[in-house]
Amino acid sequence: MQPVTLQNVVDSLVDNTLDMSLPFFRPELALCATIVILLFVRIFKGGEYIPSFFIAILGSITALILAFPAEGFESWATMPRQELFTGMLVYDTLTAFIRIFLLSFVVLFIILSRLTGIADAKDGQDYYALVLGATLGMCIMSSANHMMMLFMGVEMASVPSYVLAGIVKGRQRSSEAALKYVIYGAGTAGVMLYGISLLTGVLGSAHLPTMAASLADLDIPNLLTTAEGRLTVMVLVLGGLMLGVGLAFKLSAVPFHFWCPDVFEGASAEVDAFLSVASKAAALVLLLRVGAGLGLTTAELPVADSADPPRVIAVAANETTAPTQNAVLVKQVADSQDATHVGGGPLSPVRRFFVILVSLIAIVSCTFGNLAAYGQTNIKRMLAYSTIAHAGFMMMAVAAAIALAGRDVVDARTAVSALLLYITLYLFMNLSAFAIVAFLRNEMHSEDIADYAGLIRTSPLTAVMMTAVLVSLIGLPPLAGFWPKLRVLQALYMAGGPLMTFVLVAAALNTAIALVYYLRVAKTMCIDPEPDTRGAVSLGFLPAAFVFVVSVPVLIFGILPGPLANWTDLAVSQLFS
Amino acid sequence: MFNFPLANLLSEPVGVAHYVTVGAILFICGALCMATKRNALGVLMGIELVLNGANLNFVAFGSQYLRNDGHSLGLDGQLMALFVIVLAAAEAAVALAIALNFYNNHDSIDVDRADQLRG
Amino acid sequence: MDPDTTLPVLLMAAWLVPLASFVLIVLFGKYMGPRGIGAGYLSVLAIVTSAIFSLIAMFGVWLPNHDFPAAHESEHSSSTHDGAVVSATDESHSKDSHSNNPHPDYYTGDWYSLGEFGTLKLTIGYYIDSLTVAMFCMVSVIASCVHIYALGYMHDELHEQFVDHEVTLSSGEHLHRKGRFYRFFQYLSLFCFSMFGIVIAGNVAMVFVFWELVGICSYFLIGFYIERHSASTAANKAFIVNRIGDFGMLIGMMALWSSVGTFAFGDMKNEKGEVEQGLFSLLRPEESEYQLAPPAGMIAEQKRMFAGDPNASAGDAATPAIDPKRNTQGQWLLFIAGVGIFCGCVGKSAQFPLHVWLPDAMEGPTPVSALVHSATMVAAGVYLVGRFYPCFSPEALLVIAYVGCITLFIAATIAITATDIKRVLAYSTVSQLGYMMLSLGLGGWVAGMFHLITHAFFKGLLFLCSGSVIHAVHTNDMTFMGGLRKKMPITAYTMLVGCLAIIGAGFPLSVYGLSGYYSKDAIIEQAWSFGSVNPQHAILKWAPVAGAFITAFYMFRLWYMTFAGQPSDPHRYDHAHESPRVMTGPLIVLAAFAIGIGWPIFHVNDLLEQGRPVGTLSATHGELLTNLTIPSEHDSHVPLIKIPAGIAAFCTALAGVLLASIIYLWRLLNPDELKESFKPLYGFLWNKWYFDELYNYLFVKPTLIVSHCAAWFDRNIIDSILHTSAAICKACSKVVDALFDQTVVDGTVNTLASGTWGLGLWLRKIQTGSLRQYVMFIVIGTVALFVTISIVQAYFIPTS
Repeated sequence: MQPVTLQNVVDSLVDNTLDMSLPFFRPELALCATIVILLFVRIFKGGEYIPSFFIAILGSITALILAFPAEGFESWATMPRQELFTGMLVYDTLTAFIRIFLLSFVVLFIILSRLTGIADAKDGQDYYALVLGATLGMCIMSSANHMMMLFMGVEMASVPSYVLAGIVKGRQRSSEAALKYVIYGAGTAGVMLYGISLLTGVLGSAHLPTMAASLADLDIPNLLTTAEGRLTVMVLVLGGLMLGVGLAFKLSAVPFHFWCPDVFEGASAEVDAFLSVASKAAALVLLLRVGAGLGLTTAELPVADSADPPRVIAVAANETTAPTQNAVLVKQVADSQDATHVGGGPLSPVRRFFVILVSLIAIVSCTFGNLAAYGQTNIKRMLAYSTIAHAGFMMMAVAAAIALAGRDVVDARTAVSALLLYITLYLFMNLSAFAIVAFLRNEMHSEDIADYAGLIRTSPLTAVMMTAVLVSLIGLPPLAGFWPKLRVLQALYMAGGPLMTFVLVAAALNTAIALVYYLRVAKTMCIDPEPDTRGAVSLGFLPAAFVFVVSVPVLIFGILPGPLANWTDLAVSQLFS
Repeated sequence: MFNFPLANLLSEPVGVAHYVTVGAILFICGALCMATKRNALGVLMGIELVLNGANLNFVAFGSQYLRNDGHSLGLDGQLMALFVIVLAAAEAAVALAIALNFYNNHDSIDVDRADQLRG
Repeated sequence: MDPDTTLPVLLMAAWLVPLASFVLIVLFGKYMGPRGIGAGYLSVLAIVTSAIFSLIAMFGVWLPNHDFPAAHESEHSSSTHDGAVVSATDESHSKDSHSNNPHPDYYTGDWYSLGEFGTLKLTIGYYIDSLTVAMFCMVSVIASCVHIYALGYMHDELHEQFVDHEVTLSSGEHLHRKGRFYRFFQYLSLFCFSMFGIVIAGNVAMVFVFWELVGICSYFLIGFYIERHSASTAANKAFIVNRIGDFGMLIGMMALWSSVGTFAFGDMKNEKGEVEQGLFSLLRPEESEYQLAPPAGMIAEQKRMFAGDPNASAGDAATPAIDPKRNTQGQWLLFIAGVGIFCGCVGKSAQFPLHVWLPDAMEGPTPVSALVHSATMVAAGVYLVGRFYPCFSPEALLVIAYVGCITLFIAATIAITATDIKRVLAYSTVSQLGYMMLSLGLGGWVAGMFHLITHAFFKGLLFLCSGSVIHAVHTNDMTFMGGLRKKMPITAYTMLVGCLAIIGAGFPLSVYGLSGYYSKDAIIEQAWSFGSVNPQHAILKWAPVAGAFITAFYMFRLWYMTFAGQPSDPHRYDHAHESPRVMTGPLIVLAAFAIGIGWPIFHVNDLLEQGRPVGTLSATHGELLTNLTIPSEHDSHVPLIKIPAGIAAFCTALAGVLLASIIYLWRLLNPDELKESFKPLYGFLWNKWYFDELYNYLFVKPTLIVSHCAAWFDRNIIDSILHTSAAICKACSKVVDALFDQTVVDGTVNTLASGTWGLGLWLRKIQTGSLRQYVMFIVIGTVALFVTISIVQAYFIPTS
């Protein structure tokens, strides 16, 4: 044991950082470097002649390449979970997967921004810096292992998004959207931070696994028998709920969704694509991390690691003086396993709380989003509600995963795999939908659904692609959107229990409800007569090619979901262990 | 293990509970301020109050002198408070810029004027 | 280079490049250069790339790694005399002189698994042996020539306004339409891709998939001039006739799979490293010395089939009583499977009785005819028989031989009277395919495959030449041609090379001749070898010789009528001109191949010998027909058979050429007088043995009558019943509707629908747009959640 001197501490920190953590952090570093270059390049003479687009796309592609595992995807099957920067971040297959996902998205997104011309020569550098900064925040969000990183990630993802929402200057609606977004976002961030302060204060740590361990130490079922204990639990529940408020804001889950339709309508369609895909994906992974981080310790897992005796068992062994209490605990654990279907262990109340909370919000979001999308006249607003509904659907997968994690790791992995498949396919669906909206806005200067009437006659490719994407968003079989929905329902079915069955029924019903408003748009585009006033609508070659490239996977993966599903299965193969 | 018996606050020496109570009061004030102020700057101030309420908690929970029972957040608490201050500053800067942009377009920073987007 | 890894990659590249070209042209064909000319270049580039890959696979990978069976050859040639003596004296011993051959060198594996349904695995896989590589080279080289040629031939389609002189609209004008240059090349690319797919396929199911793709491509290409009634009818005919054959193929596949349980050809290792046996190993197990032995599953399946049927079981019981030595276990099912698969080949390779589509397929553009007739579609059928060879029982082979024999004779006779230059060539193709089938059916695997390859080159050449002629004189009818030799010398002499090659010109009993000489003589030798051991099937011995005579006659008739003598239509003659270089270039290349591809120094024969299917070297005896013997192919090289067969082939061909010269060159006999004197025969042949009429009366008319009856029945009986019942239902429903539906059901549904809609609209009102209210909702939402979750946890989730 080395003496604890400042020198030793600094040395070990430097070793840890340079040797272990930084190699896994290369994509993020590449993003940082790109942002710095973007901002500083104009200081130098002639710098303004370098198009920001090239810097941004080069940087993001570099980051994407760095994010790919050097030993090939097969190495994921054996990759262990590693904590970086002394436990601030966690690097596992889920991090690796979601980072590749986010960076691929950002590459496509930068190309889209260039094609639609939203990032012009004047604003380009700011725009790309904001996009890359938000992406950096999302990367941190999805690998957070510490409450500070959680908060910082959420803020780093949000603050640039506020500006992006108002990036179109001189438009009243745009500035209104940005104001609403920033105030709502900052408000929920404040609430979340307060919740974090309560949780960390009571549990004495901000490191998620340590928090889980002290939650297990608290022995919640026993705590509830005393008045003092009930108060502590109340504080924890309150803290948990407030933390949930912040996450629900990022997910635009009901009842914290109010910003979403307004911001989506006011902001430009490109930014909407960014918010609806990348931001949601990162938030969902974060939700999963919080759920798994607080709801599971190694002792909770059905397959306990014998080499590393879990702390909770050690605690239980110390309490041999009170055998009766232990017996009660064991009995409770056994009973609760039967009743609530979240598995046993001292953390089962935490999981139950999490699962109930997430399931309730998910059901309400899904139903509300689908219902409120009825009767919308603005396509962006309609898609905003659709986003809310989809976020609800995806949250169901998270709930199922956490419910299953206490019982059967393999089933829980299936649920997470369903979530990842959903996120991935959602990228193609929503990116192409918003790309089409953006390109059509450039051509027709309108975002009203009514103005899309009869588009199939003047611009058949666009109309067909849009229809395919919408049908895929409903989740009808020949298209890609069907598979993730099916797999989420499958995961819910595996989870079992009255609550999950209720969620399952709600999810199935919602698919039917969603049919109406998506098909209404498809009908407007394909069947309604063309208005006389509109001229020819043509996207041009590059935009059409972009839309084609992004939406063709919807068709391909609809028929051959195998490779993608295998990939997501691989990405979860080491989870929860 | 931890409880906040309000009645005992006045009779006890200053401890975590006192700080947390002040933090809670700040939080509630901030929340009320956010929800009631019509001026955008007022709303932003409310947000600052909420953040500072949380910050106070962090500092209090992190202090070894106030709570020396091994469950202290330790340096984590102090660090988080510092980070939050930085993040709050960044957020405030962005929020003020957006409020200015709003003023340019609407000649007002009354948040009730932001009602074009609805439904 | 390691052939195990490089061959699949190279051939896959060769296979997929045309697909890429197809996809690109489908998507962007319109935009490629002025009126899609770029599409043509892209397609040519793709197929040439394929050819290069194939040639690399052949010369860079296959040949350096696989020695020719030289040892075997030398042993064979040294023991030729002994073998001859033995086979002449003691037939049973000759079987032992050639020990049965094991599996040839092959590489097989799966690229992609489409799905597993129980034990049924559907995969995209490959099976590569020397035949595969040889076919790849042949197909890609010929297709390259045809593609390049088509660039010149189809240039009319480049015009913005293409005038189709063969279509007259009701207004009396010719049809004007946009040129479809890029579309033509798009189909050509898909066609090549499909053909490569068949060749490389590693299992029967994949073969079937690409089989159908070839069918649909031929449909598109034959019907390329879709506005011409004849073209669209021909396309339909080709497709429907092919479907009939495919039906048989499906039956064969089902019989195979239900009894053997796999579709894969070769043995391959699965993930666990176990060897999964393919069809060839299962049907010709090593234990039985690679003799055809129906596996246990097949025997059980046949027993089950016959036991289910009482009559059959009686017959089954009776069969062993007649001859207890006969082992018919599983043989019937094997026969059904073999004949079923062969049915598919009959359709695709235009064998009797499904040969009727091929001549009509001449309605497509000439490059398509060249491709369809030489390297791709019709070759596919022969190739499949060759690929599937180990699975055919001797009886199935006999069926194949007879079908081939009939086809070769019928088609040759029809070609005598045809005057359409392309039809003559079409019937000659049918006839030559008959030769190949005959050869395969008689045990001459190498001979048949060899003829497939040589024929591909000279038939491709002949068709392209005919296209060049048609291009020059704008008619297909040979009676309007004549004397064109002077106008278009390159076409004339390359075509002469083709004619000489197809009749098998060469110096008898030597090793000098054109490519057709080697392959055709090999077939005739095999036929004679077969005839010597199966005297009851003597017709199979004489038909190919007679066919050689007729072939020589009609080919030279064609050449004389086209290029020799006096121009019969001076107007057309004056306008005729030699084709551009882009068309004559491929002709010269193909002519060189037609001359030389068969020469022994090129070792094509040895290459094919490397790929000889497992267990097909020794003579085999029929189990169902006990007096049937399929002789070993090597027995046909003994001088006792080789010399008379070679002389017979040479003499008949020479006689055919002489007769043609007498009638059409020296005009010693007047063809018109001959026509008069043999009028009934001429009419019979002119009308193609009345096959079309026969089919029309036998199948088409009865089908139409039945369908008319059915339609009448449908309209008058079923419909009236339906209408009556509908009326009754309607009346009832009106009553129910009035009483119950409008009030209760509609009420509920409408309330639900409008309720949902109303709820949706009402929910929009929550979104007031007021920011302060939103912030308020943060707090309210948190509290509401707290309450809800407490209630749910307390009352709805049962706890201990």
